[in-house]
Amino acid sequence: MAEHKRPKWAAWADHIRSLDDPAKNFEKPEALDDLVVLDLSSRSMAGCFCSSLLAELGAETIRIEPPGGDLVRTYSPGGVMHRGTGLAYLQEGRNKYHITLNLEKEEGREILKCLAGAADVLIETYPTGVMEEWGIGYEELSKLNPRLIYTSISAFGRFGPESGRRQYDYDNVSQARSGIQYGTGEILPEGKTYDEMPYAVPTKAGPWIAWAVSGTFGAMGILAALHYRCQTGEGQAIDIASPEAYERLHDYALHWYADQGVLNERFGNLDTALWLYGFFPTKDGGVFLGGLRLEMWKAFVDIIGKYEEWGAEEWTSLAPFMKKDWQLKYQAMINPETMKYTSEELTAKSVEYAKTGRLAPITTVVAPIVSPADAMKDEVWRDRGIFTPVQDPVYGSIVCAQAQWKATETPPRTKWVCRPVGYDNGFIYLKYLGFGPGRLKELSDQGVI
Amino acid sequence: MSAVFADYVKNKYSRPGPLKGIRVLEVCTLLFGPAGPSFLASLGAEVIKIELPPMGDVTRSLNPFGWFYKEQGPMFMHINTSKYYMALDLHIDLGQQIFKELCAKADVVEFNLRPAVTNRWNIGYEDIMKVNPGIIYVEKNGFGQWGLYAEQDRPSNDGASQALSGYAWMSSFPGRPPLKQSIWICDVYGAMMAEVAVLAALHHRKKTGKGQYIEMSQTENIMRAMGWVWPYQQMTGKGVEPAGNRDQCICPADTFLCKDDLFVALAAPAPDEFLGLCRAMGRPELAEDPRFKEHTTRLEVENALAILKIIADWARTKTAAEIEELGKQYGFAATRLHSSKDMYEDPHRRARGFVKEIDDPLYGRYPDHELPIMMSKTPPKHRWTVRPVGFDNDFIMTTILGRNQAQIDELYMHGVLGRWKDAQGRRPPSDWDGKSGAILRR
Repeated sequence: MAEHKRPKWAAWADHIRSLDDPAKNFEKPEALDDLVVLDLSSRSMAGCFCSSLLAELGAETIRIEPPGGDLVRTYSPGGVMHRGTGLAYLQEGRNKYHITLNLEKEEGREILKCLAGAADVLIETYPTGVMEEWGIGYEELSKLNPRLIYTSISAFGRFGPESGRRQYDYDNVSQARSGIQYGTGEILPEGKTYDEMPYAVPTKAGPWIAWAVSGTFGAMGILAALHYRCQTGEGQAIDIASPEAYERLHDYALHWYADQGVLNERFGNLDTALWLYGFFPTKDGGVFLGGLRLEMWKAFVDIIGKYEEWGAEEWTSLAPFMKKDWQLKYQAMINPETMKYTSEELTAKSVEYAKTGRLAPITTVVAPIVSPADAMKDEVWRDRGIFTPVQDPVYGSIVCAQAQWKATETPPRTKWVCRPVGYDNGFIYLKYLGFGPGRLKELSDQGVI
Repeated sequence: MSAVFADYVKNKYSRPGPLKGIRVLEVCTLLFGPAGPSFLASLGAEVIKIELPPMGDVTRSLNPFGWFYKEQGPMFMHINTSKYYMALDLHIDLGQQIFKELCAKADVVEFNLRPAVTNRWNIGYEDIMKVNPGIIYVEKNGFGQWGLYAEQDRPSNDGASQALSGYAWMSSFPGRPPLKQSIWICDVYGAMMAEVAVLAALHHRKKTGKGQYIEMSQTENIMRAMGWVWPYQQMTGKGVEPAGNRDQCICPADTFLCKDDLFVALAAPAPDEFLGLCRAMGRPELAEDPRFKEHTTRLEVENALAILKIIADWARTKTAAEIEELGKQYGFAATRLHSSKDMYEDPHRRARGFVKEIDDPLYGRYPDHELPIMMSKTPPKHRWTVRPVGFDNDFIMTTILGRNQAQIDELYMHGVLGRWKDAQGRRPPSDWDGKSGAILRR
């Protein structure tokens, strides 16, 4: 790539960087360092993700696992373990103190009540009814601590006709129930069957996105509730259902069906509602092409040298291109053109077009579709602090995605990635219950911790 | 049913939103920008959407396959709920002055402009800090304000973010080309995270009086959500590959084709769930099979594919509804695949008030999603939909900035304030009576 010439506004970039570079995060205060969070998540990374977001902002976050550890510690690609912990939990154990507590035992529940009395936030992911049957549901705990913000993240929510279902919340099931998986995936050509083309089916996203979304809505709700509590002193119960959380990110599908009876059918790598907007093949992979204004679409046609042949000069509106048959027609015309270039060549052509093209500075968004391996190698994200390894005294140097946003005052940060099961029993039980080694040994012998 | 949520939907409007008293300004277009402030609006904040007259937000023009709702872009309607609509020309000095007056009386201001544009418009962070040191100032764009891609002034959007993060790469079936999501996941996810940042910053401000500047990139945020991918690549030296509907970290967890040609998704990793599934299949011995007994062993690819094949063959002999029912009975997670038809018809979504009818003075009745955070004391509420460009100018100028009608008219005359162009999505719907929804001047 040609040498980078800095823009006219380089001084602005340098100035902002001097204020919010993640390299300086540890010098700054933490927004939530006055909070204590209990995370009782069971089997669900949504709850762990939610508490991670609070822990990254400085909340003292106490992760409570059954003796032996929660199932989430086994979640790992191919079952690979690193020093006894699955790779997924090496991301979402971050900044948390890890204690064990057996909630099946009466004494364990009494200890939980003490912790809840001292906490600001509690997060749990059990099916509806489990916490209540243990006598540690919102009603009971709020009597002990009316300021408690009690957050449930589950598969069906805490009320409504399906809420009694005693099933745990899993990401792939929530993705399926959200309505989004239904509309994502390759199109099954007419006359073909799923058995012939088992990949042309409704397809979920690879990452645990339903969990991430419900966990993030959880954090949003908790922080909003915190604002209310600061004014009134009142805590409250928050109820999030993962399929709903993820479904909320769908846009017009519900309205479209209600008004027109149109189902959100799969449309492959094009977009039902946008043009130019899709993935197209190149010599060495593929690119995303985007141009939501007519000029940007024309610019693309110019970039591939078809401006005159396709009559781009005459186009006055983007509207007809959004129609289904036009999208498919132009997709078939574009594919052989993009196949003539590598992804990098096309990207470079778009950047160049912004300087010298007939419609410059207007150009088309071109982005190579990179693998996660290449994304991790990209110097730009490294420079912006996303993949800075965390130096963990137990687990070693671990790459954790972090610094997801930059801030001048209270940026998120990752201090450690995880702790072994029960690692902080000594510290936390002494701090909150005055339990020394003697008492901890007794509780351990009784199977309480 | 949890007692605290009894009659939740019925009593919703007897409680305030949690962010009552918070004022938010947005100068945003498309999705990544405007989606976040509408979450805050549902949470009870007063959100003022500032558009450039007379065309406003680009999303007003967008539609699926040519379908508009009363001439309006349906995604614009979904993304921009419960806001007040102002059209202010920020290119001109007087517009910038008025904007600063508003900032002085606001808590949060959000932008999604190219890097350094706010600075050029004299409304950069430090300009606003001078009038309001407590301001929480958010800029959202593809690559932030600094770094190589930002300096190249690369345009970005959701699809580019799906491509550049590796998200699309790992979301197809093995051996198939990367697959784009049907929703604008990176934009809306980044927008959500921005509000987590904003709310945390509000808490910090309460303690210290200090505001702050926050920079959000949707690609960086979606990478945060991709979790195990990064340490896996670091430790194994291998790149993550796509696995279709199979969850690579949880087994069994996959989507299966059923007897009725419908799909069911199920998951059963815990010992009790796995045993329940094996029993439901009439194969309890599988739970003791050394390949499958322990979750970590079961996750080894060869074993995972073996058990998933057994389940797939079984699933083909049952209907999706039967398997969902067996999940309830035997205690493993299972659901038939839902579509937009289920969004509309499902009684559970309705009973929770998650899907509800909007009753809007300009756009009438139609169903939409509530914010999916049910809060026992401060329920979020999606109340109204979008407005024509500049529709609430008079209301805002009068109630917040104390201008009288003559002063407001002068601002219109000088083009500082603007109103909608007579064009699709900008003007009121054609059946509008000229009054409904207008607050001060009818």
